[in-house]
Order: sequence, then structure tokens, then C-alpha cells
Amino acid sequence: MASIKDENHWKRLVDECFRREAGPQTVVPDPAQDLIETGVLDSMGWVSFLRALESASGLSELGALLTERTPSFESIFQVFKDAQTERPSPERDFSYATQPATRTSVLISSSCAAVGSRKIPSEEVDRAFGMPPGKLRSRAGIESLAYAAEDENELTLGARAAQQALHAAACGAQELDWIIATSETHRGYPSLAAQLHSQLLARENCGALDVGGACLGLVNGLAVAQGLIASGQSRTIAVITSDVHSRTFKPGLVAGEFGGLFGDGASAFLLRAKNGAAPQRAYGLGDFFFGCAGQYAGAIRVADAPNGSLDVHFDGEALSRAAITRLEKVVREIELRSGIARSSLQGLATHQPNPRLVTLLAKQCGLPQDKFPVVARSFGNLGSSTCGVALDAILQSARSHQAGQWGPIFAASLGPGLLFGGGWLVPA
Amino acid sequence: MTKLLITEITRMGPAFCVIGLQREKEKIRSVRPVTATANSWMHFPYQRGDVLQCDLAPFSGAKPHVEDRVSRRGFQKESTVPEPEVVAYLRKAETAGTLPELFGCILHENKSGSGLFAMPHEATRSVCGTQTRNLRLELCANEVRATVALSSGEVLRDLPVVDREWRDFIEAALAEGRGANRVPRLERFLNSQFHYKVLSCPHHFVRLGLTRPYHDLCWLMLDTLIPLPKREWLEEF
Repeated sequence: MASIKDENHWKRLVDECFRREAGPQTVVPDPAQDLIETGVLDSMGWVSFLRALESASGLSELGALLTERTPSFESIFQVFKDAQTERPSPERDFSYATQPATRTSVLISSSCAAVGSRKIPSEEVDRAFGMPPGKLRSRAGIESLAYAAEDENELTLGARAAQQALHAAACGAQELDWIIATSETHRGYPSLAAQLHSQLLARENCGALDVGGACLGLVNGLAVAQGLIASGQSRTIAVITSDVHSRTFKPGLVAGEFGGLFGDGASAFLLRAKNGAAPQRAYGLGDFFFGCAGQYAGAIRVADAPNGSLDVHFDGEALSRAAITRLEKVVREIELRSGIARSSLQGLATHQPNPRLVTLLAKQCGLPQDKFPVVARSFGNLGSSTCGVALDAILQSARSHQAGQWGPIFAASLGPGLLFGGGWLVPA
Repeated sequence: MTKLLITEITRMGPAFCVIGLQREKEKIRSVRPVTATANSWMHFPYQRGDVLQCDLAPFSGAKPHVEDRVSRRGFQKESTVPEPEVVAYLRKAETAGTLPELFGCILHENKSGSGLFAMPHEATRSVCGTQTRNLRLELCANEVRATVALSSGEVLRDLPVVDREWRDFIEAALAEGRGANRVPRLERFLNSQFHYKVLSCPHHFVRLGLTRPYHDLCWLMLDTLIPLPKREWLEEF
């Protein structure tokens, strides 16, 4: 475990979380000052401040460790020190916090995206779902959708993206140690990862793993791959997303306000351990964090109905609010954890439930919209592949510039539950 | 005169807030007696389950605290109703199973920290009962916080626990006279026996409330957790 060398970093985290709770103009109190007794924060504000700090520091039991202590900055710093020196454990590895944005031992060597080859104007989808033409465009901002052709499915789209990513990195499929796949639409066995394994002709001792999370699937997959590489057991991993909604969310099975939002697509990322021979023009993975905001669990639920159809509960308005609030919160947290200012970003690979929400998110984050690649507007919501196609677009755009001009990338996504997760990438 | 079955006694700081149930024809609804000068009571010598005779002004309070009624005279205790029966009445009063139904409005997440809040002008009431799928209490820097899973599966985190009896119980558990390791002992109790005692109780029930507007927001809190704690539980840890 890394030791805390940089106390200024902790001070920055505490100050920032405090100002978010108490207001940006609030004077940072004296370290020994009792924040509740002196009225700086009330008891609700104190707990809220600590929760933000737990999240930002990774010390999830900060609140519990502060019981029977004075509510002050001094107590917080003492708990940070005690936690570091007395009870070292993997959960308390603060290395990311002391060395923000420098953990680049896992690189994204290459990436590729593939979307369904049929481009359908949104008005046609409106009509298919029995909605007034123009509804998807005016209400959600979707101009067209990418639908899979007859001979395309999760396997073919995923394999196409993966093969191109392998080709771009001059990497043979036999070099892969793992294939990690995620899809919110693929059902049945063999699983998608197993089918991709066969399709790509990977070695027999290359593992095949499917991860869930629906629209959060890519971020889940990257985090799992990072862990496998960081453990030293693997060197090269393909993370592949692939979703074909047009065969699941069909007219007659689900309402158009829900089913009409989705398109078909895939993405693939080749991850490698950094070594001396690693390409210089690559991004390194920073840290990831995850959670589940259960208060939004009721906003979207999809289950098999007894009659073979789909039982979909979709509260679009509640989900939109939840998505914006949570994504913005994840972006704030990445910023806090990484120490990277959002203004310096190359781009944000976020989930894009629909284009209107992307516009709103950009506004809420105070960022120009061009920091968010166009995905949902042209292809629809691609499920786990939305984030993947967006990340690929940012990586491709970065490659058109000198490596020295590359900016960091934030990745943030959501899944039903409401699952959330995020992380960052920095030029290697 | 109005008959009021006392169902909530909450404590924030030194003052108490009281809510009771009033029967109006076939309907049972929550009523919050307040003094003419304040929303809370500095002294309230009654218990939950007490049926009190009181004289309440007929007008209601400002949104979302529409349950407020000014008490024009003192209270007179008439009888006491056992806990399971109190819950039976609470189940007939304001209840909801999903987040938006709790207070008839959207609940917002605190973007910078924890907790949920409602906009005062949007909420249609300030108290509501609900059946829970799961519940957990925890100590966070000397404060008691609850995490509640509604029957809908929606989870509410970091709700301040303002139930008088539960707050008194926690304070008693942490009293200096109880010896060493009080905090870990209490945490162990909250993580084990508490869960069993509360969730296995056949009349387990919670009521959630909204604070008075604070910086224009009304925050969610856990007003009542039934069963109420028993003194003898303190002997178990």
C-alpha cells in the first residue's frame, strides 16, 4: 500500500467537499473548530459532507471512524492518518489519491466501433411504433437509428469491432489472455464472450468472461480487465460490447417511447500491460469507481412476461432526471478523485440515453457539447455500446492530433438499478 | 375537542415534534399539533399510543406541512393503545409504496453530498407511512442514519433518524456508564440483533417525514420506526 506522502492532496479533497456542502464562498474553518457546535454545518450537512468525502477519498468508513470524535477538520485528518498507519488493507489503498492520474500501467492500445449497417430515419421508427412522425426527433433529439441488417447480430458486430481493433494494434487473436464481453440484448448460450472467443479464434487458454450492467457494461468490463492485468496474470485483453436492440425492443412488444430510442452497435478495446515496448501514442487507464443509487430503481425495469412478451416499466421523466443528476455527480467525482479539471478534457465518453439529455448534461457540467461525441443522435441509444462508441470516437479524434496535445478523458455511465460508474483515462 | 392517537414523537435538538392520527368519518389522517408560537414542543410528557383529548384550530399549515394544527389548550390523556394497534391505524392513514407517491412529488438527490429532498411547493404532505423490504441503522460521526428499501425496491439512504425513542436508545447505548467499546458494541447490535428484532416483528412499519424548509428545501427523515426499542435490549450488547 502506498503511504500518504502528500497531505496537501487530502487537504484539497477536504476543502473541496466542504465547499460543495457549505457553499463556495464559505471560509474554510480552523482545523480544530467544532463545525456543528459553531453552526458552520448542521448535523445533516456534516453527514452529507462526510459522505462526499468518503466517496472522494475511497475511505468508505470515514463516518463510522469519526464517531465519538469532535466534528472538525482535525478529526478527519487524524482518521485519515490512523486508517493509513493502523489498519492497512487493500481497500485502503490511497495510491490513486496521492498520485492522481498517473496510474497508467494498463493501456488502451487500440479501439474500434461498429454500428448496424441499416440507417433508419427516426420518422420511420416513429411510424413502426405507431407514434406520430417526428416524435423521436422533437422529443428525444434522435435523427436516425442504426439497425442491424438481416445478417448482423451481437456476434457479428462485436467480432467486426474486435477484429479491427486487433488489426489496428497489429495484435493477433492468439495474443489475447481474456475476452471480456458485455451486452444487454444477447440471450442464450454459448454466451457472447464464448462465441466471440470461437469467432476470433483465440487460444484455448484465453479466458472468456461476460459481464453485466447493461449500459454500464463497458465501464464494468474495463475495470475487470484492468484488475486482471494489474494482478499480473494477464497482459492482453479485449473488452467488447455489442447490443442489438432492434430484435428485442420491437413494435408490439414495447411502447415506442421506450423501444424507439434504441439502435444497434458494438465497440472493442484492446488493453495491454504497459511495458518498454508499449506504443507511446496510447491512453492509460486511471481508476474506476462504482455504485448503485437504489432510490432510482423504480424508474426502469424490464422483465420477461409470462406470455413471452416483455414487461417494461419505463418512467421516462424520472429516468431522465436520475440520469442527469447521477451522471453529473459521477463527473464531479471523477474530477475530485483524479484532480483533473473538466475544462482540460479531450472528451467525455458517457452513456447517452438520448441526445436531449446529452445537451442537458453538457449544460449542467458547464462544458461545450462537442466534448460529447455524437452517438445517440445518429445511431440511437446503443446500450452498453453507447459509452464504447463514444470512447472510440474520442480516441480516434485524439489520434488525429500530436500525442502531446491529447487531453484526459472521462468515462461515466449508468445502468438500471440505478447502477453508476466512472473513471478516467490519461495520455500514457 | 379532538381525539388524537399519538403516533410520532420526533426529536431534533432539544425540541419535540408530535404527530397523531385523527379519525374523520371513515378516514384516518395525520395531524401535527403545534403551539401558537412554534412548530415544536419543548416538553411533551406523553408516549406513542396515548389517546389525547385536544383542542385544535381547524386551519392547516403551509405546504407541505399541511398536517399542522394549532393547539389552543393543553392535552388530556384518555387511554393508551398497544403498539400493534397503533400500526394498524397507521396503515389506514397516509401510506405509499413508491418514492414519488410518498409525498406526492419528485424527490431530488443531493448533488454534492447525501440525502434526498423535496421542493416545499411541490410536496402535498409532510408525513407518510410505508412498508419496507429492508432497513438498516448506522452511526455516522455521532449521527444515526437509516437506509430504507421500499417495497418497490427503491432505496433511500442516509435518512436522519429523528424518532425520539430510537434516538434515546442510541444515546443510552453510548452512555459512558456502559463501559468500554460502546461504539463497536452498538454497531454490532445494529448489524445483527437489531435487524432480526425489527424486521421479524409482524407489525414492523416506518413513517417518513419532511423537515421544515431549510434553505428552501425539505429533507427526508425517518420519523418513526416501529417496533420501538426496548430498554432490555441494552442488556444484550
